[in-house]
Amino acid sequence: MKFQPDKTVVCLLALLMLGHTAAGWAHAFPEHAEPGAGAWLAAPPHEVLIRFDHMLETSFSSLRVEDAQGHRVDKGRAQAGSDDPHLMKVSLPRLKPGIYQVIWTAVSLDGHRTQGDYLFTIR
Amino acid sequence: MNRTIYTPAAGRAFICALISSIVLLCTPAAWSHGFAGKRFFPTTLVVEDPFVADEFSVLYRHIKEPGEEVSGPSVRNDSLDVEYSKTLSRQWGVSIAGQFLNLHTNGGNKDDGYSNVEVGTKYQLYTSAAHEALLSVGINAEIGDSGNASIGVESYSVYSPAVFFGKGFGDLWDNHPLLKPLAITGVIATNFPSKTRSNTEEGPVRNPITVSYGLTLQYNMQYLQSFVRDYGLGAPFNHLIPVVEFDMSTCTDRGCKGDTTATANPGLLWFGKSFQLGLGAQIPLNHRTGDDIGILALVHLFIDDLFPHSLGAPLFGR
Repeated sequence: MKFQPDKTVVCLLALLMLGHTAAGWAHAFPEHAEPGAGAWLAAPPHEVLIRFDHMLETSFSSLRVEDAQGHRVDKGRAQAGSDDPHLMKVSLPRLKPGIYQVIWTAVSLDGHRTQGDYLFTIR
Repeated sequence: MNRTIYTPAAGRAFICALISSIVLLCTPAAWSHGFAGKRFFPTTLVVEDPFVADEFSVLYRHIKEPGEEVSGPSVRNDSLDVEYSKTLSRQWGVSIAGQFLNLHTNGGNKDDGYSNVEVGTKYQLYTSAAHEALLSVGINAEIGDSGNASIGVESYSVYSPAVFFGKGFGDLWDNHPLLKPLAITGVIATNFPSKTRSNTEEGPVRNPITVSYGLTLQYNMQYLQSFVRDYGLGAPFNHLIPVVEFDMSTCTDRGCKGDTTATANPGLLWFGKSFQLGLGAQIPLNHRTGDDIGILALVHLFIDDLFPHSLGAPLFGR
């Protein structure tokens, strides 16, 4: 059995297509966040929202915001996927200047779980 | 001694049987690959990963290596490595790997065939989400005489107990946040031959015990973007992981004590929703490893993402 580059390329492309067709599944990674990781803000944000690259399972995904002392400061109950299944957001009261931490857990439709956190600063 | 004969039909039958087995393995539930907390550890090019996962890898490698004899001709080596890993439980997995080799010597000789089959098992002892840390133990067995004699496979088996680790730097260096996307992974294994001596066409040879060790240093752009500082990087840069891997092996006894081969393998990894790609160079670090730079190309499927409720789920436990 000889090594045949053309057939190897076809096999590799088939593998990639197999991976691409299953794009509805898999782990959810953040695509965009407002405010973003490490942001320095002149004015306090009204909400935190994170867009993921996969649709979320609303019941098990969560998002909260804490101040530098670890106290939760958001208005509670994050909305995950209510109008956009890729989006999770939570409303904020008027925050004082300081450092805040966003902590999220995302469960994609197939049950895979990812988690993360980041800081932003209000000047 | 009975020698297994591999024919093209046998090769195709093996591949068909493997694919059929994969498709027929159906159990519920899904589990994740390569995570410790928010840290995603990618599959690296040449150094084995520290985590247990459902995955399928194809690695193409092109390198010119020195011949076995000091003054002998160098060998151009094209290989296709295939590995399938399956989780038995969340912490315990097994794997099977094979390699098709195409060898060209400077003297004009050409040979190709399958190298010995490797089977292995790995147990993920420790995972810390807070410290982005992993520790695993495993054992690999290269089954002697299971490949083609035409490419000079060993007639004896080699058993390799190993320790694997991974550590992300996200919990370190608060004063230097741009270093937080860094992570290291590594492995150290001792390779015990099943026979201390074996006979070759050139006569009897001693089979040494060797120690293999590898280290990777990786910088995860997704980690930077999502958890440290959002620089607004778009695709594909937001899922890139530059990596450099050091792969080494040292002989410990039987006439070659201290002899070491070593390569540095800088590369770029990119991970998508259910697969990962990699491209790298293989740079020899000493004269025993040769003078030529090789090429590495990886296609890696996350089976747990592709088939979360069947093939990609652990056989036992949820």
